Amino acid sequence: MFRLLMYIGLAFLVPGLAAVGFAVYEGPVSWGVDAVTFWGVPVSLFVFWIGLAHAGTLLSAIFLALNVSMDRRTALLAELSTLVCLIIAAIYPLIHLGVIGNFYMVAPLLDARGNFANVRSPLVWDFCCIAVYGLLSLLFFVLHLIGGAKSNMLDGIVKIRRSMAWLLFPLVLWVHTIVSLDFATTFVPEWRGAFFPAYFIAGAIFSGLAMVNLLLCVENYRVRLLEKLMLVGSWVLCALWLWNFLLKGDFCVSAFVFAGVLPQFLLVENVRESRILRSMVCFSILLGMLLERIFLVAPTPQVSALAGISDSSRWVDWGLIAFGVGCFIHLFFAVRRWLSKPIENDEILMGDVDEVKESEESASERNARAKYFPPLTTPEYRVLRLPVLFGILVSLLFCIWTVSSNADSNIQVSLISVVPVFFPIVVLVASVILCAKPLWYVFESRARWCFVGVCVLLAGLFGAFYAGGSSMPAASESRETRAEHAEDMNSYARTIMIWNSRCSACHGVDGKFNEKFIREFYPVPQKLTQQRLDSLGLDSLVKVVLKGRVNMNPYGDRLSEDDARALVRYMRSIAPIDSVVIEDSLATDSIPVEVVP
Amino acid sequence: MMAAGFALFGCRDGLLGSSSGSRKLPTLGDFEDEVRRAVAQGGRGFELVKVPMPGSIKSSLSTVRSQDSANRFGMAIDLDVCDGCGKCILACNMENNVPLVTEDEAAKNRFMHWIQICGGVPFMCAHCGDAPCEKVCPTGAANHTPDGLSAMMYKRCTGSRFCGANCPLHARKFNFNDAQALGLARKFNDEVPQRGKGVMEKCSMCLQRLQNDRLRFKTEVGVAKAAGVPVLGSGEWRGRGVQTACSEACSKHAIIFGNWLDENSELVKVASRRELYAPSVVAGLDPSVVYMRGRR
Repeated sequence: MFRLLMYIGLAFLVPGLAAVGFAVYEGPVSWGVDAVTFWGVPVSLFVFWIGLAHAGTLLSAIFLALNVSMDRRTALLAELSTLVCLIIAAIYPLIHLGVIGNFYMVAPLLDARGNFANVRSPLVWDFCCIAVYGLLSLLFFVLHLIGGAKSNMLDGIVKIRRSMAWLLFPLVLWVHTIVSLDFATTFVPEWRGAFFPAYFIAGAIFSGLAMVNLLLCVENYRVRLLEKLMLVGSWVLCALWLWNFLLKGDFCVSAFVFAGVLPQFLLVENVRESRILRSMVCFSILLGMLLERIFLVAPTPQVSALAGISDSSRWVDWGLIAFGVGCFIHLFFAVRRWLSKPIENDEILMGDVDEVKESEESASERNARAKYFPPLTTPEYRVLRLPVLFGILVSLLFCIWTVSSNADSNIQVSLISVVPVFFPIVVLVASVILCAKPLWYVFESRARWCFVGVCVLLAGLFGAFYAGGSSMPAASESRETRAEHAEDMNSYARTIMIWNSRCSACHGVDGKFNEKFIREFYPVPQKLTQQRLDSLGLDSLVKVVLKGRVNMNPYGDRLSEDDARALVRYMRSIAPIDSVVIEDSLATDSIPVEVVP
Repeated sequence: MMAAGFALFGCRDGLLGSSSGSRKLPTLGDFEDEVRRAVAQGGRGFELVKVPMPGSIKSSLSTVRSQDSANRFGMAIDLDVCDGCGKCILACNMENNVPLVTEDEAAKNRFMHWIQICGGVPFMCAHCGDAPCEKVCPTGAANHTPDGLSAMMYKRCTGSRFCGANCPLHARKFNFNDAQALGLARKFNDEVPQRGKGVMEKCSMCLQRLQNDRLRFKTEVGVAKAAGVPVLGSGEWRGRGVQTACSEACSKHAIIFGNWLDENSELVKVASRRELYAPSVVAGLDPSVVYMRGRR
């Protein structure tokens, strides 16, 4: 079954990859973009997949935090789907970019040239939140997996899962709020509204539930609670759509039919009980939500029957959609097959709940609670409060650093614009502290070395980001010079201007060295008298101007050879004659003016 | 396979992108034809509302840190005089090396021109004091200069197009095509770099002209100080005498460029006698480019 699904996924993935390759090569022109929004299918697919990515952690973490019992296999599947969806969701923004190689500039880090990302932009918040969310989802999944497999020896891990759940619970909501701010902070009338965060979170949870239910259908299993929640989600979303319609008058009919009307068939018992019909309802919800996202990103006037996919769309649009679907199916079921042993553990069957172990856990904890602990050493403090406090500290330091490094630039960063990244950093630091020790002891030495290797790799990446891209000027292109511009080329006035602007800092306006400056930074060079300049010769001096020498910077990328030649002549004209007092006036008429070719 | 797909990454501007060796350069006639076409196709006009004179109210919203800056450059476009001839567009294209677009794009009315004739009036970036595009740019490529210009740092642009989505005037143009490889670009002006594929661009208020003038001014002051000659005026640069390409090209003198904070500039003198308007969508964002009509 899984093998078959993997092949089906591959059938979508291969044409999808072709589309992705083409889109990456051709750039944003390859997919149908609207003149008004500049955005397109990749952004809607990003929003769609990041929405699906909420299901897993939502179910596991929030249910764990709220003490709703949930069987292990469902939770593991949901968490796995989260991870795969996150990978897919992270690819689309990259495709979307015009200059993909510059993506790292979005990270809120300083680079060697003193550039700092604009922390006021929701895209920067997005980048942080999603990176943190992806990392923590991975940690949570790994904890769950090994916690189940070797539960007897590792109660430490089971213990920290609950703390992790409490950290992830707000983070899930936080991430999608930030994604909604991508839209809600703009001036596009269709995207405005204070209810957008709630709207996006509801949509994300709804589509995530549909996804998990669909996966459970594949497993030939069902969880009634999730189906009920899905139905409730459809009502909530219908209400929000109505609100949006009354407010702005735009309404996506196809999304309403697929994700609003069709799910109501779950109220009919025959539909509900049939596995095929149930999975079809889940599928129609996913389809409806996808159409809704496309409609949201590109609310074109000529909306065709298929939501936003209008006449301007190309095969690449469809290919990008197929890429997401295929990549998910293939990757998910590949990992599912690979992990079938820990997921279908002999001891833990379907419907088995983690709570069995939890109750033993809580019994021992209850005993512990009776004991007296000196302040700041209680288990709660160690397990959750200390890491969170530490996270808040790191986060505060980051905020102060961000605001202070922007202090001298023109970007005005206030503390309020750092708030969206504040919480993700707290969570990141807290959970890394939380998991570091137990995970270190769980893994064998080989895994530890892998971990160290990953850390080194990350540090290297940071270094590369810090250094930034090449700063070499673009290759010289065929230049067309305007006639009027050519006129004053090499004229005497222009030469003086270049000298005064580029050379006088060291050489002085009058050709004598700017001694005060030079003495401070460089060893004092020989005096450039007329005799010395004559002995060096015109050509070699031009070379020095263009290519630089010892302490002199090269100016070849800023000056033409003619400019350099004129500068040398000018320098000679103002150079002092050895041991002779220079006259005030410059012999302007004796300077040969080069004829423009 | 993913890796293979992403190996194409670097190819965009590397191996395959600029391989077409013999590119033909478009002629001036091509540019004139395109401007004529753009003017004929036109765009939907914007609703104009009355605004106070830019710089007269120190807006607390303004994103410019250097509020005490002596300069805030802007333009006023005379609606009573302008007849939408499109000469400003051509001059702007030549000054800023704005490329042509493909036939496909032109049919969709998507030109790269920094100035658009909408409802018979030229519209360009308003250089808002509280610019929405600068707020959402993730990398800080869209930034505000101390002279009150909304500037672009092309090397820093990742092409996320967030700024374009957030501009109420749709004044930002995205380089969907590699105009140089397609033979659609021509470098008329050496001082302005040609923009690569995947980068946003827009009206820069002829930044290069302002910078040249600033350089000249500072040099003159420096020379004067070195020679011991007393410097005239405050010794502070106010950008007097600079003209943008569009204002220079306008034969009817309908586009007036100047410094809103300089009481002696022609802009302030003219604008103070007229009623000022701005597109309603940016009227609340403290625009520097305004429209004037009638007498006060």
